[in-house]
Amino acid sequence: MEYIISLLILTGINAILATSFNLILGYGGLLSIAHPIFYAIGGYASALIGIHFSVPVPLAILIGGLIAAILSFGVSLPSLRVSGDYLVIASLGFQLGVLHIINNVEFTGAASGLSNIPLLIEGANRSKLSLLIVIIVLVVCILLINWIVKGPYGRAITAMRNDETAFSAIGRNPIQIKVFLMALGSGIAGIAGGLYGHFFLYLSPEQFGIFTSAAFLTMVVIGGAGTVWGPAIGALILTLFPEAITFLNLPVSVMAPLQGVIFTTLVLIFIFFRPQGMIGGHRGIDGLAVWSQKIDMSRKPEKK
Amino acid sequence: MELSWNLLGQLAWTGLATSSYYALFAIAFSLVLKINGVWNFSQAGIMVFAYYGMYTGLQVLGLSTPVSLFIGLMTAIVASIGLEVYGFNILRKRKSPVLTYFIFTIVLAQFAVFLTELIYGTAPTTLYPSLMSPVFLVNGIVVSHWDLQAITITVILISSLYLYFKFTHQGQSLVAIADNPPLAEMFGINLQRGYIIAISISAVFITAGMYLFGTKAALFPSTPLLQLLIFSVIATIMAGLGNIFGAALAAIFLGLFQTFSILIIPSKWQILLAYILIFVVIIFFPEGVRMPKRKIKRHDLNEIID
Amino acid sequence: MVNKKNLKLGVSNMGNLIPNLKVIFFSSLKLAIFSIFVLSFSNQTKAGDTLKFGVADPLTGPAAIYGKDQMQAVKWAVEDINNAGGINGKKLEAVILDHQAKPEVGINAVNRLINVDKVPVFITAFSNVVKAVAPIANRTKTLMLSVGANAPIISSLGDYVYTTFPLADVDMNKLGPYMYKNKGKRKAAVLFVNHETGIDGAKIFRDSFKKAGGKVVLFESYEQERSDFTGLVLKVKAANPDVVHIHSVIRDFTAIVAQMRQLGLKMQITSYQTAFNPKMIKQLGAAAEGIIVTALAPSVEDNANLPGYLERWKKAYNRQPIGLPYTQYFYDAPHIIARLFKKVLSEGKEPNGTNMRQALIDIKTFDLPLTNRVVFADDHTVDKPVYYWQVKNGKFQLIGKSK
Repeated sequence: MEYIISLLILTGINAILATSFNLILGYGGLLSIAHPIFYAIGGYASALIGIHFSVPVPLAILIGGLIAAILSFGVSLPSLRVSGDYLVIASLGFQLGVLHIINNVEFTGAASGLSNIPLLIEGANRSKLSLLIVIIVLVVCILLINWIVKGPYGRAITAMRNDETAFSAIGRNPIQIKVFLMALGSGIAGIAGGLYGHFFLYLSPEQFGIFTSAAFLTMVVIGGAGTVWGPAIGALILTLFPEAITFLNLPVSVMAPLQGVIFTTLVLIFIFFRPQGMIGGHRGIDGLAVWSQKIDMSRKPEKK
Repeated sequence: MELSWNLLGQLAWTGLATSSYYALFAIAFSLVLKINGVWNFSQAGIMVFAYYGMYTGLQVLGLSTPVSLFIGLMTAIVASIGLEVYGFNILRKRKSPVLTYFIFTIVLAQFAVFLTELIYGTAPTTLYPSLMSPVFLVNGIVVSHWDLQAITITVILISSLYLYFKFTHQGQSLVAIADNPPLAEMFGINLQRGYIIAISISAVFITAGMYLFGTKAALFPSTPLLQLLIFSVIATIMAGLGNIFGAALAAIFLGLFQTFSILIIPSKWQILLAYILIFVVIIFFPEGVRMPKRKIKRHDLNEIID
Repeated sequence: MVNKKNLKLGVSNMGNLIPNLKVIFFSSLKLAIFSIFVLSFSNQTKAGDTLKFGVADPLTGPAAIYGKDQMQAVKWAVEDINNAGGINGKKLEAVILDHQAKPEVGINAVNRLINVDKVPVFITAFSNVVKAVAPIANRTKTLMLSVGANAPIISSLGDYVYTTFPLADVDMNKLGPYMYKNKGKRKAAVLFVNHETGIDGAKIFRDSFKKAGGKVVLFESYEQERSDFTGLVLKVKAANPDVVHIHSVIRDFTAIVAQMRQLGLKMQITSYQTAFNPKMIKQLGAAAEGIIVTALAPSVEDNANLPGYLERWKKAYNRQPIGLPYTQYFYDAPHIIARLFKKVLSEGKEPNGTNMRQALIDIKTFDLPLTNRVVFADDHTVDKPVYYWQVKNGKFQLIGKSK
């Protein structure tokens, strides 16, 4: 039924976002939390192109993704100068800054949001077809990342993460890898933004702020940060579960805060008691620490 | 727009007074970063607890100001200590990466906001039924009782902290922990106790700041997280990590800048400057705009020792 | 060497000692999550003998200060309609969901109302959400009534989107000339919150004041989250207007007025219906005296049912409703819907969105309990008289009216 399909589309989009985020954070080692802004950039770019130029929507979405990928230099270049917590804050500054511009410029609809976005698919079976497209994009995305990570490029990534100095010493360029992964991840996020915009037909800046960053991070952690499928599973749980809570016939006036309390409590429990996430293999190791420790990402985690 | 001395003077005075709570919040944030070593975004949650503790005393139970302040303070301190002992300490032992701290502190702040919304509802509240405070004129400049209270409290707290760090044994041990934890430990300083003391001091500043803010404007449970915290982050970065009093100064500077810049820039672009500042400062001046002598970064040293 | 006293509170230690406990905990957690999913889908409203309509309002979150009282008005309306016999014997039922004033939540809520609760018509509020859910209403041919949101664009959001509440161009178009002619103001400063409601409303006021002959000496926006307005207030002082119009949300209005009065600015302040808030008067005390606010719902002078309605509030809650004029519209909306149902059913048609919409167009003019007459124009706009209220002696008093 329509309601569930709509929810599943949102879940699929979140899964695409979580997976691409994991690519940047985990495999690329770039501590950027600015992922939602590339989601926004892709969505807005695609929507605006669709509104103002007569470009077919799929092409607009791809262009949106490309623009997001290019703008990702705004974070990958600074990462060459700073790292660690400094980069987190710098990326936060980038995200909030760009978001503020979107929020205040007439062209993007400013705080009122952007509507009248052209549809990706028209007609009676619109929702089902859109869901199909989202699922296909998700699967392609996961397979692509899997292929990159398990192949020779993946070994290069592992080598770079394990010892960047040695990596440079043998003549490989770590910067190239970081920038590429950032661009790829952000570009995918941009495409997800286009999918969102051309289905839900409304974009507003408030959806892309710091809470969204925390939400994506949480999806990655709860799903399992050191894995390829984990973030998608995290997205599934984090999108569907809060919605499911609303069906429990709790009093409407406290529903939202109660939902928030239940939800954030669960996240906190996960962070402390099951840091490897739902399907993470390295027991007891903080999901995100999997990346900073010297672990070979191209091999399957051992089951203990 | 004509710029009279009176106008500038008024801007300076009122701007300074309202920067007071920004300075207090910046100190609290910077202190926890320097000593506990954490970017404490859950400060927004502690701010909410401190405020609603006082609110409960004043408006719900009808208690006197000192008692309510005490309740607010105790709520903030207990929450802060809990945060350090049951939160940061565990993550520290696990050597959790930065992003885990980030998610943890943000989610915890959100939890605090939701919990408060659940208990107190989502309508905006003030600490006292009225927001107005008596005013008088000094050379044509309007001075309100609130302004005087704000400046006095802030000056007292900041100077006390300064004296504490400089002249007490405990204060100096905190500075030692901030500079070099393993070394401090070797000299017999108890790290855990230091962390607890530091975060408790932070709670005091938070409570004071929330008292001032709550007597000037109404707030929602989500206000600290959405609005107030970002100033503390920027001020801390501008002053350089580890420079607590610098952060206070930076906060005051930012507050005054925001007040004065309205003469030139439309309000809506002011905050963009703040974000650009974060971005530029942290990339090009990671040691802070004032470029103090180069300190060895914490994680470098830990890696060497481990 | 010195003893290290480490507080061993790490859960990893607990885990080592009692590994089974962790396993049990997580299995039960997974089971709990699963059962919530199952429970939630079986817990749906069963089809019955009631005529349902949906309501999506901000009930929590910063925009929700009026939401609770609005919901009370809706519930009382449904109660009253049902006590009077319902609709051809069937009972009216409101399905109420919270959208927190967030577009994404609004989309989910409306999808649910349409697909799960199968409502042919729903009420909603808050401009951003209205815009986000309009496509859904149009696509699914569900009638959508916007109550309270006032962005002018609402009248052009689609065939199935109607507003029962006058849009910003109604009251702001009349306030300008009123302040010029009736109150003799010549120089206006306009302050507004930097989002749609603020921007649109402020522009319309500016234009209407200028058209009436006045001069706008300051036109300045501010961020919604802001709490210190010193600079803004001083800019107002320098511009020296004789009236300041503040197109705000709620908390910012109180802060700006407080800071204006503190800094010695005594000029006339005006705002729109959102400022019709008795709590604001309390927070401002004497500083609130003289504030003029527009309202789009009739006062007791013009509406015979209103005193009884106010009495009901007094008995139940010992106070006036917050945002009284809005609640009047929310009380009347179910009455509109009841009439639509009645017409559709008595014509033997199915109560779906298309037929309900046709009924709205056919009836066109409704005489309602608390907001008097509403006429749904062909261009989806609604025109109403504007009432002017002023704070006198700590209370809102009616001082004028424009047709």
